[in-house]
Amino acid sequence: MRKALDIALNDLRVFFKDRGNLVGLIVVPIVMTIVVGIGNGALAGDAPQRVRVDVVDADGTALSAGFIEGLRAANRTLALCPFDSGEDDLCGLGDDRTLTLARALERLVAANTTAVVEIPAGFEAKLQAGEPVNVIYHANDALSAQNIALQAVQAVAGRMGGAQVASALAGRLADSDGLALTDPAARAAFQQSAYERAAELWSADPAAVAYRLSAQPETRITSRQAGFGQSVPGMGSMFVMFTVFGALYVLIRERANWTIQRLVMMPVSRGQILAGKILTWFTLGVIQFLVVFAAGLALGVNFGKDLLALAVVMLAFTLCVTALAFAVSTLLKTEIQANSISLLLALTLAPLGGAWWPLDIVPPFMQTLGRISPVAWAMDGFRSLLFEGGNLGTVLLPSAVLLAAAGVFFALAVRRFRYD
Amino acid sequence: MQTMVEVRGLAKTFRRADGTAVQAVKGIDLDIFKGEVFSLLGPNGAGKTTTISMISGLLTPTVGDATIGGHSITRQPTQAKRLLGVVPQEIALYPTLTARQNLEFFGRMYGLSGKALATSVDEVLEFIDLRDRQKDRVETFSGGMKRRVNIGVGLLHKPQLVYMDEPTVGVDPQSRRRILDTVMRLKEERGMTVLYTTHLMEEAQELSNRVGIIDHGQIIAMGTVGDLIQKVGEEDRLFLKVGDQAVSDEVLRRIQERVPGVTRAVYDPPGAEGEDRSNTSGVIIVSAKRGRRALPQLIQIAMEAGIEIQSVEVREPDLEAVFLHLTGRALRD
Ligand SMILES: Nc1ncnc2c1ncn2[C@@H]1O[C@H](COP(=O)(O)OP(=O)(O)OP(=O)(O)O)[C@@H](O)[C@H]1O
Ligand SMILES: [Mg+2]
Repeated sequence: MRKALDIALNDLRVFFKDRGNLVGLIVVPIVMTIVVGIGNGALAGDAPQRVRVDVVDADGTALSAGFIEGLRAANRTLALCPFDSGEDDLCGLGDDRTLTLARALERLVAANTTAVVEIPAGFEAKLQAGEPVNVIYHANDALSAQNIALQAVQAVAGRMGGAQVASALAGRLADSDGLALTDPAARAAFQQSAYERAAELWSADPAAVAYRLSAQPETRITSRQAGFGQSVPGMGSMFVMFTVFGALYVLIRERANWTIQRLVMMPVSRGQILAGKILTWFTLGVIQFLVVFAAGLALGVNFGKDLLALAVVMLAFTLCVTALAFAVSTLLKTEIQANSISLLLALTLAPLGGAWWPLDIVPPFMQTLGRISPVAWAMDGFRSLLFEGGNLGTVLLPSAVLLAAAGVFFALAVRRFRYD
Repeated sequence: MQTMVEVRGLAKTFRRADGTAVQAVKGIDLDIFKGEVFSLLGPNGAGKTTTISMISGLLTPTVGDATIGGHSITRQPTQAKRLLGVVPQEIALYPTLTARQNLEFFGRMYGLSGKALATSVDEVLEFIDLRDRQKDRVETFSGGMKRRVNIGVGLLHKPQLVYMDEPTVGVDPQSRRRILDTVMRLKEERGMTVLYTTHLMEEAQELSNRVGIIDHGQIIAMGTVGDLIQKVGEEDRLFLKVGDQAVSDEVLRRIQERVPGVTRAVYDPPGAEGEDRSNTSGVIIVSAKRGRRALPQLIQIAMEAGIEIQSVEVREPDLEAVFLHLTGRALRD
């Protein structure tokens, strides 16, 4: 593999000898990141971003309405869906503003909401009869934002029913079918803590609840973070594609120049040559990400707590894009094709996958369609780290998808790559 | 004599995008002996580059195989390629890198490193006489200088065998002279085996111990220059330039029938076979024993046909004549 490394080093040297490449690698991406960042920041406004909580009221009584009012009072930063979804569609519900339990749970899985609070039918009746009643809290435990919602639910449940209203808290992944903890001991312990907490809150000044909730600064998203936190990973992903898709043109040039053919006629295996070329473009992709991320750091973007997870998403995306470039390169013959295809690919995959604006502001079918773009998966990972306090666990799925796609593309590329 | 390269039944069929097949090489058998310069002489499109590509491991033969120093190029490519230096017809260099950077990189690909690499690069720069330009980008070089770097790359690991595919294409006469001298020095000073392809018979004639004439993907004659010229006997060739005047088959037939000693008369129209050839004039090429004697009658026939002859040249037998003899076409230079 020594020769693959030598090939990559030589290719990188050739790349950097062309000063024009530095403009494409540094100047343009940084300018675009700033411009798009300002645009997205203005879009988000200066108000702290509100955390969505879906509320499904199956009871529809005065008491259940009181519960919801209580939630609102407990924490004003919560957007209670569908009730708070005004003109601006704060809840991202689209035209159909009704929220069934099934739809709410889907939204939870898709991370379009942070929690679902289910008020069961018979809530008022049972409460008045003095029977225990469960308000069910569904959460995706991957999201830290649940804490403020959970605390609000607990607080209200505590206030309303004292010891009679128990919050059955489903502290598990939202896509599992159970609605409560299945381990009886854990359930008991959890409910116990909820009781205690409820009692404590009940005895305390309700204002204390509000204080506790607002003391979580990481849930407050500034417009700076909303803007650059979107544009840095977004433009980063897009320019990684621009840079890496440059391989399409260069590979054709190298065949025209006969430098690839010359390598094949030397005692170097085809595998080493291909590995060297892949390493070159993967490295350039990583450099491109680092350039934009460094700019992001200078712009004051908070990259979250888990830098390892950030690196995992970044490397998985770059690998996927590199593999895609090499797979596509086997289909192209001319330099003109290469230039237009790389432009076309980058300029469709980027907005489709949410590189220009967050995907949750586009219609649902576009969100679904966007999943074909590797950018969408990368942005899932990046946004969970930059906005939702995510970690290695939360980026696992998007990274795995990107790596699987990379595997498929590489398999195609290795089989069809042309050396002559 | 020890065989360095052994080619058996080598053939290549390309498939075009439209589905049609091109038989670029149609079954070649060839032995190249240690220490000789072997030339593959043939016109454009004869299959020279395709042959070189197959016996250097770039293209997989459709049929057949070749061995280099006993290693099969298809089954033991790495061992075979270690013995070999290749100078491709294209200038296969990185234009934005300097001559030295190019040589260093390709040297590493031949497995050289450290001091051995530096020494080797220095020697090659000396050999191709570009020491003082080593720090300049290749793109700033003249055609001839690029050609020399292109050759240098193939010599880095001091191979026993080198393939040179039309190394003089597109260079000025002075650079060509230099390159031909280089080939001779490789053979004489280093005892190297050289496979040299060209469409220029003078080059083949000057350099080669043996020549293979290749046309339409087949070797149609092979041997020393002397052997090959024997094939055409003592015939001279007369070149009668006629500009853009039309020459009918009737005229050619009359020449063949009426002039004693004439074995063949062909017409080579102007601008044929395209490319950058400077054949702005049509030529009647006549093969004849003791050609000078045939001259008056030839001119007579031409005048009868109303053709004005602009110039006449008589050439002694050479490889060009052999090609003409074998194919009925001019090799062209
Ligand atoms: N990749 C290819 N696909 C299709 N046809 C090809 C390909 N490479 C070569 N050919 C055809 O094969 C024939 C032989 O080509 P080749 O390049 O070997 O000739 P050559 O003797 O090297 O000519 P020249 O003196 O012009 O270099 C030509 O007709 C050419 O068009
Ligand atoms: Mg050729």
